[in-house]
Amino acid sequence: MASLEVPELAYEEYTNRQLAAVPLAILAVAVAVLGITFALTGTPLALGIEFTGGTELTIATTADQDEVAAAFEQEPTSIQPVEGQQQYIVRFAASDLEGFDEDGQAILQDLVDQADQNLEPAAGADGSSPVVGESLTSASFGQQIQFTALIGLVVAFIGMSAITFGLFRTFVPSVAVSLSAFSDLIIPLAFMSLFDIQLTLGTVAALLMLIGYSVDSDILLNNHVLRRSGSFYESVHRSMRTGITMTVTSTVAMLVMAIVAWFFGIGLLRDIGLILAVGLIADLMNTYLMNVSLLRWYKFEGVAR
Amino acid sequence: MSARETFSKWWRIAVLVLLVSVALYALFIPGGMFGSSDTGSVGDANETATDDSLHNLVFGLDLDGGARISAPATGMTVDDVTLDHGGTPEQAQQAGNDLESTLRESFQSEYDDFQAADVTVRYHQGDDSYTVEVFDDNVSAAAFAETLSAEGHDVSENDVEDRVTEETRESMVSVITSKLNQAGLSGGQAYTTETLGGEHYIVAEAPGYTAAELRALLEQRGSIEVRAYVPDGNGSQENITLLQQEDFDTIMSAEYDNEQNQYQVGVTLHDGPAAEFESQMNEIGFTSEGVGQCSLRQNAAGNYDFADSGDQWCLLTMSDGEVVSALGLEDRLATNMRSGEWKNDPRYNMVTGRGEGNEEAAQHANEISMNLQAGALDAPLDFGNAQVMSVQSSLGDQYKTDSLLIGIFAVFAVSGMVYVRYRDPRVALPMILTALSEVVILLGVAAAAEMAITLAHVAGFIAVVGTGVDDLVIIADEVMDEGSVTQARIFNNRFRKAFWTIGAAAATTIIAMSPLAVSSSLGDLQGFAIITILGVLIGVFVTRPAYGSILRKLLTSEE
Repeated sequence: MASLEVPELAYEEYTNRQLAAVPLAILAVAVAVLGITFALTGTPLALGIEFTGGTELTIATTADQDEVAAAFEQEPTSIQPVEGQQQYIVRFAASDLEGFDEDGQAILQDLVDQADQNLEPAAGADGSSPVVGESLTSASFGQQIQFTALIGLVVAFIGMSAITFGLFRTFVPSVAVSLSAFSDLIIPLAFMSLFDIQLTLGTVAALLMLIGYSVDSDILLNNHVLRRSGSFYESVHRSMRTGITMTVTSTVAMLVMAIVAWFFGIGLLRDIGLILAVGLIADLMNTYLMNVSLLRWYKFEGVAR
Repeated sequence: MSARETFSKWWRIAVLVLLVSVALYALFIPGGMFGSSDTGSVGDANETATDDSLHNLVFGLDLDGGARISAPATGMTVDDVTLDHGGTPEQAQQAGNDLESTLRESFQSEYDDFQAADVTVRYHQGDDSYTVEVFDDNVSAAAFAETLSAEGHDVSENDVEDRVTEETRESMVSVITSKLNQAGLSGGQAYTTETLGGEHYIVAEAPGYTAAELRALLEQRGSIEVRAYVPDGNGSQENITLLQQEDFDTIMSAEYDNEQNQYQVGVTLHDGPAAEFESQMNEIGFTSEGVGQCSLRQNAAGNYDFADSGDQWCLLTMSDGEVVSALGLEDRLATNMRSGEWKNDPRYNMVTGRGEGNEEAAQHANEISMNLQAGALDAPLDFGNAQVMSVQSSLGDQYKTDSLLIGIFAVFAVSGMVYVRYRDPRVALPMILTALSEVVILLGVAAAAEMAITLAHVAGFIAVVGTGVDDLVIIADEVMDEGSVTQARIFNNRFRKAFWTIGAAAATTIIAMSPLAVSSSLGDLQGFAIITILGVLIGVFVTRPAYGSILRKLLTSEE
């Protein structure tokens, strides 16, 4: 039976430059993607209605997607059907709704009324309304949340970097961890930008989680190389065996969560799963190409200086 | 084997088993850790559902159905206003009350819709200063500053801040809480949050409500006042505020009085306001020439018509600035007040309308009774800047089942991976069981603390399984490094090495999550962060050491 064996990379055959080239190139592409999107749209990636303001209705109805779209006077910003349920998640951005800034709740009530009038509720809904869930965020509230979330990410990143400096007390290995964690964040962000996944509170949670998860393998690697006896390549290989096992296990768990949550239409869990999976795959590359090359340089050349 | 050796060998596992048992107890034994907390709340549909359930977990709005509205309070504040007063706390308080009345009168003469509750003066004993707050959108900052300046306070427009005080927010939270309780909602709650930008939001949560129902409850400020509508001596009429919310002492339920053929709410007044009310009534002629002299009637639209109709002496009962009823003073009450005896037993009936079956009057009477009991919201909520969320309970149930399934799938995925990697049930099986026990302990903590579980918490649980297994993999790989471990001493040595990595990884995760855990303004994410941090702590201090002990038992050969 097939068993999972961690492959041994022939690090000796490549120079540090060659090893680091791949992750750095991908990081550059990711930054470019975010930069271009920023130049085109004003934000590096699409923001969810929690951040921009707007409303979201969850509608359980026997109608099909086109009928749902037609039920509203204002064309919805997006409609997402829920697999396996007669449900749709209908979103309206604040900028598409006239008068939303003055009295968003009244606008939301209008939308609910329109859904009540024009759509037949599905069997599962309580009572007579097809609207089973609704949410609203005012534009100003959204901005507050945006600001708070950004600060949260920055503080988390700085905190993580401070801890790694405290643990290793040496410059290059600590920078390697921070750089790899930075790339682990930027690559999923570019992925989101490319595949039009909105930045929501759920994805912010995933990014924070990623800061925690991704440094695990880096710490493991640094620990083996810097604090253990044995040759450099031996240490790297040993930490790779453990690190790849745990990262792949987490990635699989997150992918499963993303797929099942997507099937059930639970956006929050789907987003968290997907972002974490992408970030963890990026982490494999960053840890075992970029971080290893930095460590090797540090071990063989940096220390000698 | 000595007792001490046995202890050192088994205590980690014992702690794990103990915690899992306690967690299971908290989860499944009816009544839970600290007895049932369901007492006291008014029963509703949700209540019976939770009583029947097999576990003690409490679910949040998105998993149980309900509505949440977060909105800032509307208002302006001027700090550090000083007043001359006699020096005693009572005198200081009185000076504040006097300023409040003066300001109220001057605002009311400018703005028709200005309610009695729209201005508040609070005294701060600490620095002997006052804050003045105005809660009416129609009043501009400039007008506010001007009115205060007219009272001899040096206040410019720049001193007027667009916020309400903390006392006001706290009082609003307690009023909303009692409104929710009155509406018979178990699990309804109100609290405040603050964003990093320093904005304060008032949050109300109501299980089983729709967003529209909750808004209706919050929109009603519930401020009740009684005004006199009397001749001003120059041939026209004027309004004088006589009674406000805080003047009322006991409040009866709304009732229909057969004899008088009217809907009413019986109230008594506090002693001070009662005496003042009585003397004011005598002064403005209510108890003499004004007895029974009120002929204001509702027009077809249900509004009172204040068109020129001769001299009137009417007591206006106002609810949120709307006139609910306008009635003259009856003879018996007038006699009592004239003689000065009424204040000794200051009862009076607030009449909302006549005629049995007058539904509007019955409804008004109910509203007034409820609003007087719950108190008035100090300031209106700014719904233009609100965040609203509501989920029907059917959708909540669906989310519950689905997230349980997602969790099970995630566990299967992890178990599969672990088994494929290690091929040794002695390593893989305890690994999976240990990771699961971490979740069980966390669920137990959630049940014992009655933490309301939301989707964000579910994501946290899954994240905990993920980090948990990561660390168990580190332990397993480290102790099995370079062939079999036969000696406990080698095992311990390796285990300690593995623990350094785990501790370091745990520290970074906790640091990364802590900004979210302490910031309540991101709502959902706080739950996620708290669960993750708790999970990491339980993992590092309990379950991962226990896994180490289990592995040692299974892998080392000494007996």
